[in-house]
Amino acid sequence: MSEANSPARIALVGNPNAGKTTLFNALTGQNQKVGNYAGATVARKSGTFFTPHGNQIELIDLPGCYSLEPNSPDEKITRDFLAGDQEGENPPDLVVCVLDSTHLERHLYLLLQVIDLGYPVVATLNKIDAAEGRGLRLDPVALSEDFGVPFVPLSATQQRGLTQLKHALRFPLPAPPGRLWKGPGDLEDAIAKSIEHAESQKHPKPTARGLLDATQAGAETADFIQKTRFDFIRHAVEAGLQRPDEDSLALTDRIDAYALHPVKGWGIFVALMLTVFWSIFKFAEIPMGWIEGGQETLQCWVRGLLGEGDFQSLVIDGMIAGVGGVLVFLPQIILLFFFISLLESSGYMARAAYLMDGLMNKAGLSGKSFLPLLSGYACAIPGVMATRTIPNAKERLATILILPWTSCTARLPVYTLIVPLIFTSAFTQGLALFGIYALGTLTALVAARLLKPRLGKTNAPQFLLELPPYQSPQWRHVLHQVADRALAFVKKAGTIILGLSIILWFLETYPKSDSDDPVVQQAESFNGRLGKIMEPVVSPLGWDDRMGTAMMASFAAREVFRSSLAISYATDEEDGEELRDRLSASARPDGSPLFTPLVGLSVIVFFIYALQCLPTTVVVRRETGSWKWALGQLFGMTLFAYLAALLVYQVGKLLGYS
Amino acid sequence: MASFAKELELDSALTLSQAAVGCDFQIRRVDGPECRQLREIGFCEEMRVRKITNGRNMLCTVCGTRLAVSKHLADQIKVVPA
Repeated sequence: MSEANSPARIALVGNPNAGKTTLFNALTGQNQKVGNYAGATVARKSGTFFTPHGNQIELIDLPGCYSLEPNSPDEKITRDFLAGDQEGENPPDLVVCVLDSTHLERHLYLLLQVIDLGYPVVATLNKIDAAEGRGLRLDPVALSEDFGVPFVPLSATQQRGLTQLKHALRFPLPAPPGRLWKGPGDLEDAIAKSIEHAESQKHPKPTARGLLDATQAGAETADFIQKTRFDFIRHAVEAGLQRPDEDSLALTDRIDAYALHPVKGWGIFVALMLTVFWSIFKFAEIPMGWIEGGQETLQCWVRGLLGEGDFQSLVIDGMIAGVGGVLVFLPQIILLFFFISLLESSGYMARAAYLMDGLMNKAGLSGKSFLPLLSGYACAIPGVMATRTIPNAKERLATILILPWTSCTARLPVYTLIVPLIFTSAFTQGLALFGIYALGTLTALVAARLLKPRLGKTNAPQFLLELPPYQSPQWRHVLHQVADRALAFVKKAGTIILGLSIILWFLETYPKSDSDDPVVQQAESFNGRLGKIMEPVVSPLGWDDRMGTAMMASFAAREVFRSSLAISYATDEEDGEELRDRLSASARPDGSPLFTPLVGLSVIVFFIYALQCLPTTVVVRRETGSWKWALGQLFGMTLFAYLAALLVYQVGKLLGYS
Repeated sequence: MASFAKELELDSALTLSQAAVGCDFQIRRVDGPECRQLREIGFCEEMRVRKITNGRNMLCTVCGTRLAVSKHLADQIKVVPA
């Protein structure tokens, strides 16, 4: 153990999609993100659990990797952690290698590498249920004899074999088996010297550091060691694994015959996405009605409770209207996350990446960039972090820079407010939303195409991806994931949005004018004055001053655009009327309607392209290591958004649209 | 003599991108700039591979795993009929 009374530290290591995070969640009771595709975990996570003997264990989940020779930044995290190179981190006391029983031959290479580093190891034969279902016969005893470490068959999803694993982790922890192969004399000498050198430098894991230094000296040595390890594995699986003939066409093959077909595959992809967007409008209507009804009831109740005055106005027009205006989109956000989790959990995401590779290649990227871009539809921050799976540094930077143009859920409240002002039926609204997402994505790809050559010369990205078998979604996990996101959204509405709503109400209400006319009061208020300053900037986009101030406020959080409109347009009509009706009824000073379809389009275009999310800018700074890229992205995207909205409105007006 | 026979067999080996769809092959050699990455994901010598589709990115199964691999990478994998 690292220290006398501290818990033993155990690391989970395995190939991508071997089920490390599922096992981590099953052992620690946490709910970390699980996906049926490579690269779902891109950072280290830790949790604790107790063995049957009452010993506490700190479990560390590391990003998946095929080997300890890293090809991408997420794989480097795992290598550095095991080599004892990560600052402020002690090497683990033991490593649990998670092996996928259905693809054992491929997963044993990493196990062998971890054993070589000098760690005590417990190997788990995960997905044993799937392996048995396919008629694979595994012999854990024979494998244990060959590798010198215990092999525990288990199924993390079905929580089978977890007790046996905890028993295998009993104290004292098993001794490291040591390296299982021998090289020629000069290589062995080099390894011994290298380890001695690491010991003299007081490296926290000299056996690991020394071996890695000596074996990565040249391509010839690395090739020799790789081949020696594969020879060892071939010999070991002869005794430990019997595989039936694989002539039968499995379910995955039958689905893939359609899902990966160059024509039918695209049809399925587009149909799936259209269904998702149509459902967001169709199925969310009823619960949205409930929330709106609840909001109105609450406003009426508060009106009766509080006497007329500023405090009543603050609660009704500021707090309830502001927070309620955002909360009403909770059902749509739940639906979007539900569908994204479902697609991730089923294994379809890797197929989408395969299909997209051709299109991505035209943009100078590869299918590997598609998965982070897809995460960006939920939220740009995990999307930016998921770019760690991209091996090519230039491709990774280009993907980070274009990623905020894949519309995240914070924009959804704005889209779903404006789209019904332009289109009436659920089908056309769904189609419009699909178009909005497609426009953002296509512009992002064109931008990547223009940007990538300017980032410096690089090799063409190569596509190499594992397509996991389809599986029925892990419902418990999908529901947990959706609940987490919904809670985060409600929390944001109850904290940031509430705070901003109070500020916006204050700016809208003060200073007081002498007139009782709400229009005069609005013009006299801080917001009205700010709007007048903003008006020359936003009027070429077809917007009025209130939309200008709402846009400014939305730089704090996009959802505030809606709250801000809800607060500032409340002065026009009676309370209780839907914001959308109030917007469509609002008029310019000359009496012409303000919120025409063209103005709606200009607002949508602005929100597709504007980067109004400071946490994203901070994460981009961290991932690119430079403020230059992060701030360049922030200002570049905002300017582009303004120019695009300007172009849409002015060209639309020239063509005779209002 | 044995090494001569091996060289002769390698000369007659196909690259994975040239190999016919729907057939089983055995990998004879993985050679090229990305060879280590290919081995790590499962394309290593002596493994059996079935080619499923052709195209810019081809689909194969190795040890029961489906892998998508670009033509450039598939050219680095030499196979013989299994």
